[in-house]
Amino acid sequence: MTDFDVISPGNVDELLLEIENNQSNNFRFGAGYTDLLLELRKQSGPKINVINLSNLNDPDFSSIVKSEINIRIGSLVTACEIVKNNDINELFPVLHKAANTLASKQIRQVATVGGNICTASPAGDIATALVALEAVCEILSTKNEIRVVPISEFMLGVRKTALKKNEILRSVVIPLRFFASLRMTNDRIISDFIKIGTRKSMECAVVSLAYHILQDDEDKIRYAGIAIGSSAPTIKFTKNAYEFLIGKRIKELNDDDIIEFAKKVLEYASPISDIRGSEWYRKQVLFNISKSIL
Amino acid sequence: MTKDFNIIGKPTPKIDANIRVTGEAQFGHDIQLPNMLYGAILRTKEPVADIISIDTSKAKQLDGVRCVITADDVDVNNISYRRDHPILKKGQVNCIRDEIAAVAATSKEIAQKALELIEVEYKVREGIFDPFEAIKEDAPQINHFIDGKYPNKNIAEHFHYEHGNLDEEKAKSKFVVSHRFTLPRVTHCCMATSNMTADYSKTDGRLTLYSTTQVPFLYQRDIARALKMEPSKIRIIQVVIGGGFGSKLDMYPYEPICALLSMKCGQPVQLIFSREEEFIASPTRQTMIYDVTAGADENGGFTFRDVKATLDNGAYTSWGATTPFVMMQTFSSLYQCPACRFDSTSVYTNNVYAGSFRGYGNPQATFALERTIDMLADEIGMSKSEIRLKNANFKGEVTKQGLHFITCGHKEALEIVIEKVKESTHPLIPSQEGKHKRYKKGVGYASMLHVGGGAKIYPSDGCGTTLKIDPFGYLTIITGSSEIGQGSETVLAMIASEELGIDISKIKVINTDTDIKPWDVGVHASRTSFVAGNSVLGAVKKLKEKISPKAAQLLKTDIDDLVYENGVIKSIKKSESIELDKVVRAIHFKEPGDLCIDTYFFEPSSEFADKEFKGNVSGAYAFASQSVEVEVDTYTGNVNVLDIHVAQDVGKVLNPLGLAGQIEGGVVMGMGYALLEELVVDKGMILNPNFHNYKLPTSMDVPRIHFYPIETEDSLGPYGAKGVGEAPLIPTAAAIANAVSDAIGVQIDSLPVTPEKVLRALSGNVKF
Repeated sequence: MTDFDVISPGNVDELLLEIENNQSNNFRFGAGYTDLLLELRKQSGPKINVINLSNLNDPDFSSIVKSEINIRIGSLVTACEIVKNNDINELFPVLHKAANTLASKQIRQVATVGGNICTASPAGDIATALVALEAVCEILSTKNEIRVVPISEFMLGVRKTALKKNEILRSVVIPLRFFASLRMTNDRIISDFIKIGTRKSMECAVVSLAYHILQDDEDKIRYAGIAIGSSAPTIKFTKNAYEFLIGKRIKELNDDDIIEFAKKVLEYASPISDIRGSEWYRKQVLFNISKSIL
Repeated sequence: MTKDFNIIGKPTPKIDANIRVTGEAQFGHDIQLPNMLYGAILRTKEPVADIISIDTSKAKQLDGVRCVITADDVDVNNISYRRDHPILKKGQVNCIRDEIAAVAATSKEIAQKALELIEVEYKVREGIFDPFEAIKEDAPQINHFIDGKYPNKNIAEHFHYEHGNLDEEKAKSKFVVSHRFTLPRVTHCCMATSNMTADYSKTDGRLTLYSTTQVPFLYQRDIARALKMEPSKIRIIQVVIGGGFGSKLDMYPYEPICALLSMKCGQPVQLIFSREEEFIASPTRQTMIYDVTAGADENGGFTFRDVKATLDNGAYTSWGATTPFVMMQTFSSLYQCPACRFDSTSVYTNNVYAGSFRGYGNPQATFALERTIDMLADEIGMSKSEIRLKNANFKGEVTKQGLHFITCGHKEALEIVIEKVKESTHPLIPSQEGKHKRYKKGVGYASMLHVGGGAKIYPSDGCGTTLKIDPFGYLTIITGSSEIGQGSETVLAMIASEELGIDISKIKVINTDTDIKPWDVGVHASRTSFVAGNSVLGAVKKLKEKISPKAAQLLKTDIDDLVYENGVIKSIKKSESIELDKVVRAIHFKEPGDLCIDTYFFEPSSEFADKEFKGNVSGAYAFASQSVEVEVDTYTGNVNVLDIHVAQDVGKVLNPLGLAGQIEGGVVMGMGYALLEELVVDKGMILNPNFHNYKLPTSMDVPRIHFYPIETEDSLGPYGAKGVGEAPLIPTAAAIANAVSDAIGVQIDSLPVTPEKVLRALSGNVKF
């Protein structure tokens, strides 16, 4: 077990000061602690500082705000708050579902969006949905400056992110895209999250598929955000599958088209074999569920 | 004749429920004794190695460390019923659980730190992890403490059973199937991890153990033998147990180690497993491979069963090696079978060893047998329900093994679950069928036979009870039996309440202290309600012989005229009554003066099996059938269990609430065995020692469970009741596997039925 001290900033100024003060120390951010405590328990090493974010009182970090052009989700928003948010449920069912399948109801009460992204696990449920939605990360530095990074460039590998030591993930932004200009109704959206595992709760995805497909008034596909989790070292946005679908009508797709689409999704999969599933199984299931969404 | 009962058969909340839900219950983890130290065990890093050296000097120098022990520091005997298991290992290690050293310190953290400071030098050896490899003549000997009982140096235990004329029955068989079945290693997953607090007094040489054992008196004897002490100097106090399921039937090294630490330090020592340690070092269900050949005649009547079981014993022996004793009952006597041969061999390997686990080998045997029956039905072209009904056991049957079914609800149980699953099955709804015909449904059946009135395996299968009514009308039941969450305290209190007319809120059950309570062999074999219940009934009868004459005298009537109810003793003839406590005071405080206390010992009429394993080993036998409907997702391989119908011959329902708990808990445990659970080992290492990757079912996975109790009112049971605890788990995995096979048309021959196995089976490219 790694021993640690806890520092609890109450506002952004204090937070940035603490990050600054700890530049020469080993430190970690703690928000929901659903992963961090397990990690610290497993590791042994010198004492570290934990900058505790759960007392941080700042709306940019902890609220969900919808504007004309996007939805901004603070990194301290919990999975449960996403599940309860009506705007997200209506506009981005894939995110609603992903948040609602994360771990268990108890864990969803405390697990945060920022934690799910910054853990940079290829199995992150919320993160996979956000990749499908091409969300953008807003990163705050100790200079009190914001830089933006597309989420697929933010997560670099298992537990590796684009964050520098003097930075923290403040929020993620999902563009409304056609919702802003088109009159979108429910039947225009095909958006869901498929999580493959053995249990109905407390499951870490063996494979996951997040998809968010938007059709225009002529039933043509205008957007097809598709991402796969637990299929490669990082969550992958399947651009070729996106391009394959753009401009097509779902009802006009034949069996060969559907297989071609599934193959295009599979191009991005380079899964490992581990105790939870073999490479063969992961690819097979990914292929099958990719077919099933059209 | 049905008697009207006041409380028997009525839903009664557990009398220990309040302390459990409020957190007041004192689990082993909650115990705090003055000057208590914390123990920890250093286990090997290598499953198979020679130990070149152990250096404890740095650990001993750490502030707060009170003692460090290795095998060289203790004078002890080997443990396990085969005496093949050293408490602390010396010279070599043979499995990943092996204990090398132990520490007692003033805090848990210091104890852990001290373990890190112990330096062990290993010379890694090649291990043997496959029982078929270990049994080869040229394999090196794995366990060096065995007595040469068997010619092969790696055989730990062997059972042979047979009845009938196998050759004749084989010749008669028009249909024969042969198949191999493989059963996984699963573990109990008790919510409370293994724990022990030992308190040795150097002043009087007495040792008090706060223990979670299920068998306190056998345990007292085992601890004494291990530590070379007199058993009566050891007092066992059973703490509230956070899950037993058979895991506490044997004694494991950590328990004498904890006692040794306390004896060395002269202070109490507490030792608690972490969750990871629990997965690595607590016992498992026996893993094994069956080779089954079975036949049927042209009408589908069973003819013979020829079974070879190969058990992976692990590096040492625990009760897992004796589970064939139960398996052979299933192969010999579940459904009528004219001829049976059963051979089992338990082979030492460098894997972890198996203990006992709810069902004691029976879930494995039932899986192999019930899968074979489905295969036979396919071969014959007979329906899977018909073949079972045709061969079902019946009331009055004395099986070829000598089991006597005084009552038997087998056929009725089958009829119920066959009928109910027909009613509840739904055709695929169109949206699920879809354009790709994604989902497939299937139905499966399985039955089980298990002891339901104790099991004669020890010179006494009995239980003692002392009853005491105080001058205020409260009853204390001092019973030898133990509560491990199964609800025995409540059932015993209900029985006493029924007979003495004392409200259950005025009944206390004392059952945790070997210095006080009378003998009982322990919680196993689904025996407590049957044996301890009969013991309470016997004690009540004796106590009434003391109270009734006084009551009759006070009421000026005959003994036969008295009824005990609602806290009073009533004369029917005279419509008069007297408070029970008043009678007790009249006995106690008036000349000549006596206590309202009596003791009774109940020993079931069961008998030992003979050398051929034949004999009526239990007072009663429980039967159950289950039918299951599943939906298989052919895209993912996921199996969704929709409905499970459970019909069980329970003899008589004593407490419907407690019974429902046993049924639902058992079925979910069986479902975990069927679909999810496996302790994955690779070269002796355990790869998933956590709930993240050891998939225990969650509440979200629980299917619809429908329960239909069958009351056959067994003449020997209390009010006709039989044991119920293990039964609901036993047929579940078999029924689910049969349902999945039915759905996808591929034979399933191993557990768990994971999505990946299903998908591989469906893709046809790999054998299931």
